[in-house]
Order: sequence, then structure tokens, then C-alpha cells
Amino acid sequence: MNMNNTIIDQPKYINPYLGGVLLGLLILATVYITGRGLGASGSIKSAVVTTSNTIAPEATKANSYMGKFVSDDHSPMYTWLVFESLGVLLGGLLSGIIFGRTKKFRTDHGPKITSKRRWIYATIGGALFGIGSQFGRGCTSGAALSGTATFALGGVIVMFAIFGTGYVISYFFRKMWI
Amino acid sequence: MGPLIPNGIIGGGWDFVIAILIGVAFGFILEASGFSSSRNLAGVFYGYNFVVLRVFFTALIVAMVGIIYFDFLGWLDLSKIFILPTFLTPMIVGGVIMGFGFIIGGYCPGTSFTGIAIGKLDAVFFTVGLYLGIFAFSLAYPLFEGFFTSGALGNVTLTDVTGIPAHWFALAFTVVALAAFWGTMFIEKRVRKNMKQYKF
Amino acid sequence: MNKNYIILTILMLVLAVGTIFLNREEEPKQIEPSKLLQEIIQPTRYVTTDQVAKMIIKGDPGLMLVDVRSNSEFEEFSLPNSVNIPLDSLLTGDNLSYFGIPGTQVVFISDDAIKADQCWVLTKRLGLNSTYVMLGGLNKWMETIIDPQQPSDDEPYTVHETYSFRKGAQMYFTGAEAEVGGSKVKVEVRRKEKTTVAAGGC
Repeated sequence: MNMNNTIIDQPKYINPYLGGVLLGLLILATVYITGRGLGASGSIKSAVVTTSNTIAPEATKANSYMGKFVSDDHSPMYTWLVFESLGVLLGGLLSGIIFGRTKKFRTDHGPKITSKRRWIYATIGGALFGIGSQFGRGCTSGAALSGTATFALGGVIVMFAIFGTGYVISYFFRKMWI
Repeated sequence: MGPLIPNGIIGGGWDFVIAILIGVAFGFILEASGFSSSRNLAGVFYGYNFVVLRVFFTALIVAMVGIIYFDFLGWLDLSKIFILPTFLTPMIVGGVIMGFGFIIGGYCPGTSFTGIAIGKLDAVFFTVGLYLGIFAFSLAYPLFEGFFTSGALGNVTLTDVTGIPAHWFALAFTVVALAAFWGTMFIEKRVRKNMKQYKF
Repeated sequence: MNKNYIILTILMLVLAVGTIFLNREEEPKQIEPSKLLQEIIQPTRYVTTDQVAKMIIKGDPGLMLVDVRSNSEFEEFSLPNSVNIPLDSLLTGDNLSYFGIPGTQVVFISDDAIKADQCWVLTKRLGLNSTYVMLGGLNKWMETIIDPQQPSDDEPYTVHETYSFRKGAQMYFTGAEAEVGGSKVKVEVRRKEKTTVAAGGC
């Protein structure tokens, strides 16, 4: 009963298990329709390749990593994951509007740190996630979730590595969140 | 029958329309479940909010069990679906780096997009970081090209590696996930009792 | 609320346990014999030489002629715009990628209809649809299109109509051949796009 007093402004979220079942069915539908799973970080990679290709086309083609994603027939943005990510933005906005969570710009942070610190940490964390997702061939949605759902060994490895590391190091970063 | 696009049942031209529709559904589910808040996400590591575990593992077991039924009913040709290739050491290293990124950044790429959609500034910074990280990775790629492709096992599934049929893995994941759901329900109650403030 | 969760937990467990009892017999992917017989005894796979001639003249983009005779025979004489896939190499390489393209009809051609029929049965067993056989093969083609016999005056009107079409077709094919003058026209054929899945992931 104490719970209700400590949680301020609990927003209306759908039941997590309902969300999970819906997400599971979405993965099934995605695999059924496209033969592949969901993903997210690939679109940022496309954005990186696109900007790099616009600024310095020669260097991008010469780069042995980005060069693989440059093609003469179409922009590197013209990939499945970019369109899917646009959809994610739209879907997030739609849900935010429906459940009334799009009031103003704001920052989530633990009670012991300021918003500015949180921004710095978010940037560092994002950069780490970006690097890690390239080594892991995907992030939580692409590798860990969709990969494991299709019984891929790599997906299981990434999933355990992400969450295992998270639990091991969470103690050292607790000031950021609790 | 399925997968529909690789089998040519739906033309390739619909690919991007379907991508957007799937993305909308994905974003909606993530946001509606509360994945647009980094505090909710980080909660899974501190025991005050297990929404990540619940949504993630429910989705996982539903999809795993579902794929087996789809295969049995002949709806899905499992030889035609994309199996993530395995690169043993790079994936472990990548996962560890992502684990740090998750704790420090508080998001993962997909959830940060939904965070941006409803105006979370930390999600914007996370995505900027993501961009910078991938950019840095690309520039430095020649330095660790050999490592990046090491330990390649090909597009293998758990069954290929262990010889154990997929449905045993589905069952094992289901049992573990269900046990975790019940266990975490009690943990969450206890941890939340001691929290002074939890603002969304 | 807890009661619902208990029910859901049990439901999920039952579903997961159920996967173990699914009968997963590895069946080779092929058409059932009874179904194949059904298809074989039906003459719907045959197209007449007249129909083929008409489609060639019209330039039907969905038509694909596959000549299943040997290479040397193909060199000697072939229908315009036909591709040569000898029967013995039907399954080799990516020859199968010619078939099963949505919106195209594959017509098998041989001297008589026997080799073509064999090819048709093979593609049927592979589960490929919209494959056809030219009835009577090239022998019939010669007889009807290249050298049509004038019917006698007491034949019905339709026979005469067919004859006049054939006469026109004869002009088209023999005339066209004289124009090209032996030099083989490069045939552009569509192939089915490779069904590999795009590299996915994040």
C-alpha cells in the first residue's frame, strides 16, 4: 500500500505482459512477412554512411566498413531499417499522443544527478551502444530479441552479454539511477 | 507459404510500406509499454521496475513458440528466414560494450527513438551518441578489421550448434521466463517500498 | 489480477509444452502422386502451335519459350526469342530460376511433345506453376505454321480462318528469318530474382 505514495504521476502504461504478447506477435508477423526480424541501430548506421558519403564520397568508398553500404543506384538511406525506424518514431508519437505523454521536452534522470549530467551520460552511453551494436551485429531489438526469437546462436550470445554485463556493473553506476 | 516477401507472394515494391507499418506497430508497443522512459528501462537492473524483463521475455517466448507452430502448420519456411550470423568473440565484446551503454545511456536504440518521439531530451542525446559511436567505429574500423570478423560460425541456430531440437529451447526459455515473471513481481514490490521517489 | 496471471502462465506453459508433441516429420517438398496424376491426365498444360505463334507475333511479354532439345539442334533451328535449356541440364546451375516468375508463362518446346512433357512433369514436381507444353512440338510447328496446307473448299469457315492466320504467321516467321539472315538475335530473358534475405539486424 506504501507503493502508491512513493510513485508520483504514474503514467498510464499498458500491461507489460500485454505489450510483450503484442510485441511477440509483431515479431512473428514480421518474420512471416519479411523473413527477418525487427531492428533499430541499422538506421543510424545508414544515417552515418549517408552523411559521410555526402561530405566525403571518396573517403567513404575507401573506408572498408562504410564502403560496403555505399551503392551507386540509391542512397544508403533507402533501406528497410530506415523506413522501419521512421515508423517507430511515428508509432511512438501516436502512442504518446493517445496516452497523453507528449506535453513538453523533458529529461529522465535519477534523483541524484542533474539533467545536464544525464545528457553527458546519455551521449557516452549512446556512443558505447553504437560501437557495441556494430560488433554484436545488432542491438537489443535486432540481435538480442529478433535473433533469439529465431533461435540464432548469435542472438542468445548478445542477449546474455548485454543483460549479464548490465547486472554485473549496475552496482557501480547506481548513483545515476537510484 | 511464408515468409511472404522472400517467396515472392508480396512484391518487393511493398517492402518499404510494410517496413513503415511494422515500425509504427513496434514504436507504438514500445512506447505504450513504457519503454520511452530511461528510468523505466534502467529499473530492470536495480529491481524497481521490471517492465523491460516482462515485455522482452514475453515477446521472446511468444515469438519462439509461435515460430515453432508456424513451422509445424507449414506457414513458414524456416530455411528462408534470416538467421543472425554468429561471430563468437566480437559478439561477446559487443554485448559487453552494449551492456555498459545500456546502464550509462539508459536506452537502447529502438527505445531511444520512441523517447525522441515523445520529447525526451536524454533520448535525443543518446541517439546523437549512437551516431557518433557508429561514426567512430567506421573510422577506426581498419584497426580491428581482423577481430571484427573473427570467430565466424556462419548463420547458425542453437539447434545447429547443440543438436537439440528448437522446441526444447522454446520450452526452456518459457519456463525460465515465467519463473522470472513471478519472482520479479515480489522483488519489485519490496524494492519499491524502500524507494523515496520515483518520478516518471 | 493474480488469478488472470496464473491462467496466463498455465496457458503459456501448455503452449510451450505442446511444441514438443508436434509431429515433425521431415517430408520432402513435392507434389503428391495423386495430384500429379490429376494434372497429367488433364490436357490444360497444352498450348497449340497457333496460340504460341499468336503470342510471339503479339510480342506477349509474359511468354517465355524454353527449348529443351540439345544444343546442336537448337543451333540448327529454333523459334524466335526462345531460350535453350536441354532436358539433361534442367536442374543444373540456376536454370530453375527461369521458372515460376509471377506473370510469365513458360512453354516447353521439343521436336515432338515428349521431352517437353517430361520437363513439364519435372517442374510440376518441383511445385512450379504456369508451365506449359507446345502440343506436337516443332514437328507440328513446321506442319502448321511454316507449311500450312490449304483446306478444301467444303471445310467449315473456322478452318479457313485458321488457315489464313497460319498463312500470315508463315509470312511473319519465314520472312523475319530471312531478314535476320542467320545472325542470332541476342535474347533477353528475365530471371527470377534471388530469394536471399537481406542482411538484417540492427
